Amino acid sequence: MSVVLNRRPFDPGKAAYLGLNLLLLVFLLAPIAIIFVFALNPTPYISFPPVGITLHWFDKFFETGDFMRSLWLSLWIAACVLVLSIVIGGACALALARGDLPGRTFLTAFFMSPLMLPAILTGLALFQGYLLAGIGRPIWGLIMAHTLIAVPYVLRTTLAVLYNFDRRIEEAASVLGASPSRVFFEVTLPLIQPGVFAGGVFAFIVSFDQFPVSLFLVVPKGETLPVVLFNYMKFDLDGAIAAASMVSILLALAVVLTLERLIGLKAYVKL
Amino acid sequence: MSPRHPVSRRAVLRSGTGLAAFATLGAPAILHAQTKTLKITTWGGKWGDIMKATVLPAFEKEHGCTVSADQAFPYVPKLQVSPKNDPLYDVLHTNSNEQWLAVVDGLVMDKITAKEVPNVADVYPYAVSDKIVGVSIFTSAIGLGYRTDKGITPPKSWKDLADPKLAGARGGYLIPVNSLGQCHLMMLGKVYGKGLQDLDAAYKALEQLKPIKLVDFTGQMEKMLLSGEVTEGVIHDSGVYRYDGQNQPVDFASPAEGVMALEQVLNVTPGSKVKELAFAYIDYMLRPDVQKLLAEGVWYSPANKKVKLEAKYDAKLLTTPEKVATLIQPDWKWYNARKDDIDARVTKILKG
Amino acid sequence: MPVIASRRPSPIAWFIAPALLLFTLFFILPFAVMVAMSFFSSNPISNPNALVTTRHYQRFIEDSAGIFHDALWETLRIGLITTVISLLIGYPLAHWMARMQSRLGHALALMAVITPLLTGIVVRTFAWMTILQDKGVINTTLISWGVIGKPLPLMYNEFGTVVALVHIYVPFMVLTLIGVIGRIDERLEQAARSLGAGRVRAFVEVTLPLSLPGILAGSLLVFALSISAYVTPSLMGGTNVLTLPMLIAQQVGTSFNPGFAGALGVILLAVSLAIVIAYNRILARFAGEQGLA
Repeated sequence: MSVVLNRRPFDPGKAAYLGLNLLLLVFLLAPIAIIFVFALNPTPYISFPPVGITLHWFDKFFETGDFMRSLWLSLWIAACVLVLSIVIGGACALALARGDLPGRTFLTAFFMSPLMLPAILTGLALFQGYLLAGIGRPIWGLIMAHTLIAVPYVLRTTLAVLYNFDRRIEEAASVLGASPSRVFFEVTLPLIQPGVFAGGVFAFIVSFDQFPVSLFLVVPKGETLPVVLFNYMKFDLDGAIAAASMVSILLALAVVLTLERLIGLKAYVKL
Repeated sequence: MSPRHPVSRRAVLRSGTGLAAFATLGAPAILHAQTKTLKITTWGGKWGDIMKATVLPAFEKEHGCTVSADQAFPYVPKLQVSPKNDPLYDVLHTNSNEQWLAVVDGLVMDKITAKEVPNVADVYPYAVSDKIVGVSIFTSAIGLGYRTDKGITPPKSWKDLADPKLAGARGGYLIPVNSLGQCHLMMLGKVYGKGLQDLDAAYKALEQLKPIKLVDFTGQMEKMLLSGEVTEGVIHDSGVYRYDGQNQPVDFASPAEGVMALEQVLNVTPGSKVKELAFAYIDYMLRPDVQKLLAEGVWYSPANKKVKLEAKYDAKLLTTPEKVATLIQPDWKWYNARKDDIDARVTKILKG
Repeated sequence: MPVIASRRPSPIAWFIAPALLLFTLFFILPFAVMVAMSFFSSNPISNPNALVTTRHYQRFIEDSAGIFHDALWETLRIGLITTVISLLIGYPLAHWMARMQSRLGHALALMAVITPLLTGIVVRTFAWMTILQDKGVINTTLISWGVIGKPLPLMYNEFGTVVALVHIYVPFMVLTLIGVIGRIDERLEQAARSLGAGRVRAFVEVTLPLSLPGILAGSLLVFALSISAYVTPSLMGGTNVLTLPMLIAQQVGTSFNPGFAGALGVILLAVSLAIVIAYNRILARFAGEQGLA
């Protein structure tokens, strides 16, 4: 982009476009900067301007067993949800776009409905359902609950890509003698990959950051990070919360970027 | 009943398992053949830290059981959904208002007496009064917290919160969701009207408090006071005293009209399968050594009359019959019966 | 797009099975229980004396307290405003990122977009409070510069709520749009411009229509999310904002009335499904394409 800018005389339209986007990134990152400051600020509450620098809150975070245990649990659950929802949501999107199913509009709206119901009700309803079914609150119950909330994202983002892509590429491939499974893995999949990737990122994040659904479904000593943080915050609103946030940002970002490298790069090679 | 084991608090805190070790020495000889599980609810924060580090492990050793402590709110809705003959919890720990809501559905017992829990014989009358279902093991005083560096005179009356100088810098709670907000509303009825149940006077007084910053939990009010977003606000004493020795410009005032009680109530579910153990747990929580440990850890006033706190705590907490007498206990049964109407009314008053 | 497939569902339709199974077991069944509960005076499981009643729905419809209808309207209004703003600021960002040549630049921008989602809902909202409150970053700075004398009302109102909601949900819009815009052949736009169309016109006539599926998907996600949010409005809105999800959370968490909460949930879901289906239809007409669902 900068190359283009240098070659041409000053282009006010392009500069405004670039400026606007950088401003938007600042808007997105401003609260993160605040959390970072808060994590290093010695005062036991969020304050501005900061008065110093300390690693005390990070110590507290790593020393508190609950935080670390729940962080790993959340990451693990999010990873399971990611895989499950990509498979279920991706397949569902294909079926809706290509299956010539009757009532597609309704089905698509129906699959969105877990997002429109306030999640605290979804959590409560599932909790009630699990107790009625006599299965208690197993970890897979929590994973399925998160998957239910995550599938709509994968579905929507994949559908968006599917509608835009030229079906003739697939047809050409099969005319050239490729088997249906080969067409699927070598043509369809790479083409819908950006949509699935976006959906997968959402699925991971939605599970990792899920609070209202988990609220009723976690068991003592098996709480996820958002639940632990929320309950911690009811009593202590100190920098350990911010430290927890910074650590989880870094870990989750590592997962997402690894994902992008894995899925992203593979797609580039295939295309 | 005197403490069975005089435990030095420092020793306990240092070793973390000190209490556990002591407790085993005096534990009843009867060890249960199979490990029972006691399902309880408890708070997080500093309270939860002390519970998990010392109090609960000691209880487990003493009774040869395991304790599963739920720290994730909200408890009563979960209990509501679980079958009555196999409740999710054996012991429910909440504030008083929630116990009153739970007892209506028969989720918890009405009364707990010294027959089931011997240490109940030693508690202040408020802890088992007719305003309590279950038994209160600690209480905090709800009064006014204020900044000492903003040139305001320390509040003496609940009416001081209405000072025009505090417009936009006074703090309260979202009344539908927080029992401190509900207490405050009733207090307004008492201060400006005929009594705690004079809702019309309370509504009128609430209107006069606009603009007011409302939060939904006490930790947030602490933070608002500390950061100066709020100059004076409704808060419980422990929410201010816990910053003792940290050089924060905040203090707590007990208004002359009295302070409201914020009780920590324990109660047993009728369908519990380990009722004996549940009562034993409440008895244990009322034991002077356990009471002292928690009271000094989180600045809660112990319910057991026989607890002797260190001077620093004794000076500020409600530890004498005279000080306890300043506590006002609201009639939650009355309040809860009107909760929906009150919620709608205050929401309308405060909106816009 | 040529219609080749026959009228009968093709074998690929079976791919819907896992999703249907998941939704039947973990959504329809529990939701049915909840709907059933919303017709009982109290929980029939713990209270054998519970009566079958429509009182929860009547309570909403009659709205004698005069807050429920306002809350529904406010929920939808906040959802709509949040969606429109997210689209307006998310689109340029997504367009920029989709067209970015540099791998590094793309990775950095992607990190910047994803990071807000990883901070945790409550922590993130507290960060916004620190920025927007009376003693917050903006007001403190402006007052110390002498620009303003009194703090600006940046939070405890609908403004603060929308700012925080947009912040959380813009990434959903951006990530959805990147996938779609990235699939649009840039040469189409270049062709239009070489034929004499201005930059704006080339965008409006070529890129924009082709990105409609992304706009649809992104705005539906953001709308659904913002009408069901309750943590952010309750922390940012103070006393001035009351949405249906806040009322639902209150009914579940502090009034212990899951029946009424369920009724409010059913009402919110019904209204928003109607809006979503209508929106789908309208946008499909604009796109002039049957396949857009």
